Amino acid sequence: MKVRFWGVRGSIPVPGPSTNRYGGNTSCVEVRPRGGWPIIIDAGTGIRRLGQTLMDERFGDGSGTAHILISHTHWDHIQGMPFFSPLYRAGNRVNVFARQRGDTHLQAVFASQTEDPYFPVPLTALKASIEFHELVEGNRFEIDGTMVTCTRLNHPWIAMAYRLDCDGASVVYCSDTAPFTDLLLEHEFIKTPPSVGAPLPPTVAKQLATMRASLVALCKGADLLIYDTQFTVDEYQLRPHWGHSTPDDAIAIAREAGVKTLCLFHHAPLRTDDAQDAILLAARWTARQHGCAFDVIAAYEGMSITLGDDDGVGPGGRPGVAP
Amino acid sequence: MKLRFWGVRGSIPAPGPDTNRYGGNTSCVSVTTARGELVILDMGTGLMHLGNHLLTTPFGKGQGQATILLSHAHWDHIQGLGFFAPVFIPGNRFVLRGHGRSSSMLEGILEGQMNPNFSPLYTLKNLGAAFDVRAVVPGVPFTVADGVQVTARPNPHGTTTALAFRLEEAGRSFVYASDAGYPAEGPSPEMLELYRGADALLHDTTYTPADQADRQARGFSSYEQAADAAIAAGARRLIAFHYDQDYTDADVDALTVGCRAYLDGHGGAAIELVAAAEGNQLEI
Repeated sequence: MKVRFWGVRGSIPVPGPSTNRYGGNTSCVEVRPRGGWPIIIDAGTGIRRLGQTLMDERFGDGSGTAHILISHTHWDHIQGMPFFSPLYRAGNRVNVFARQRGDTHLQAVFASQTEDPYFPVPLTALKASIEFHELVEGNRFEIDGTMVTCTRLNHPWIAMAYRLDCDGASVVYCSDTAPFTDLLLEHEFIKTPPSVGAPLPPTVAKQLATMRASLVALCKGADLLIYDTQFTVDEYQLRPHWGHSTPDDAIAIAREAGVKTLCLFHHAPLRTDDAQDAILLAARWTARQHGCAFDVIAAYEGMSITLGDDDGVGPGGRPGVAP
Repeated sequence: MKLRFWGVRGSIPAPGPDTNRYGGNTSCVSVTTARGELVILDMGTGLMHLGNHLLTTPFGKGQGQATILLSHAHWDHIQGLGFFAPVFIPGNRFVLRGHGRSSSMLEGILEGQMNPNFSPLYTLKNLGAAFDVRAVVPGVPFTVADGVQVTARPNPHGTTTALAFRLEEAGRSFVYASDAGYPAEGPSPEMLELYRGADALLHDTTYTPADQADRQARGFSSYEQAADAAIAAGARRLIAFHYDQDYTDADVDALTVGCRAYLDGHGGAAIELVAAAEGNQLEI
């Protein structure tokens, strides 16, 4: 399979010269099983360019099928959806998968994204055939020979991590999540940041430990782990309630799960390319200090990685440091 | 009045090396009045960068106040609000004026983007700053920022409308007319009156004439329609704005050259043309 990054940024798109190398588009990753239809994870602004390239394939004549796995519906993970060209061509089929709380249907959430007065084209006017599939953590299902599994993350409201297994390889997408030290899950709004390191009630501590163990299990032996590393350690201390991790948190999960490559992802909007280079080098140093066997790379727009036994090659190109 | 462009792009932010010169952020323009008051036009992603800039001013200490004029509530004109640092600082005060059948409906629209399905902010009321949201009455002048007179009128914009604003201070006038999709006969007489004699007319120039002809239903102007409006209204200066997300810097250069040639060939040779670019400033 090929894994290609179309948007690697968190929170909000950030155009400008200081993000040219890593890219300023919000989250979107394409997983392309060998000879198969694209499985797209998240629909940040990066999905616009992906959609344009798909129109050069069978999506252009309305005979394409795309699967979109949504980690959660915060803006930076869905704001590219209305600009995904295949949706505007009759005949294309698009399957959208996400978790949703009991009080609203997934389709209603997406419909409200583009209803009047927010966007000129409502969901009902799109020409492609769109199906919404609501998931629950622990679900295990197949998309054209690719096995998809998922677990819950520690982020305000909802977020899911996905594992895709196909072509004898595996990739895990884990964005957005805080470390498992304070419970953010299901919270609609967190007025007062939790006190970092304060003791937790036993039931909460147990719930967090279970959530973390499920994530480690999902990541077990993955060839590639894409992980939310929006924060530095100092930034996390200031904003523990925002639901994002540091490279140290990602390295700890990657070590326990025995992954082969860790990919830093969901870069902070105001992180310049040079600052991101430094974060990557520091993360590699940390991993070496811990004697980790895996590589650490940082996602950049346009990075493409080939995994699996179809050609026997590991990460392609110059993975990790944006050109 | 001093203008500064924080976002000049239409529809969706367009990051990448191809948009470095004009910028890829969505619509946001600041106007600093002669008395140093701040008026903000639209809240695209450019608003985040304006906000970070304001942190070194009284806004950083919760002592700032500004008027926000909102043309309409399409995403590219409101998506910067949750990332505008001054709104998280208690003490700052914002008066927001925009289109709505009522003030509470306008506030409800802004609340919609904070809905927990989409944002961890949950509600405008969780922002530290105070918001006073008021719907404007088209054609009825009001005063903002200690002495700037504003008149708003709606332009057709695809399936909806977008307000254009005329700001007047000490005999100088600036018109903000983004997202305008005119019928074949062009702007209405009321709109031309709003634009009349403007020292600067900032106008939607999303498309080249060929692209506009292909996408009329989207409700945007070509540079020719913008130039026609500037000529008909006798504007002194035309500011090109709201470029299509797929236009590279070279495309916008070509659009500007085309617009200049069109002005020169249609009685607008005296009109100064400025292509809005992120970070640029302009004195009126």
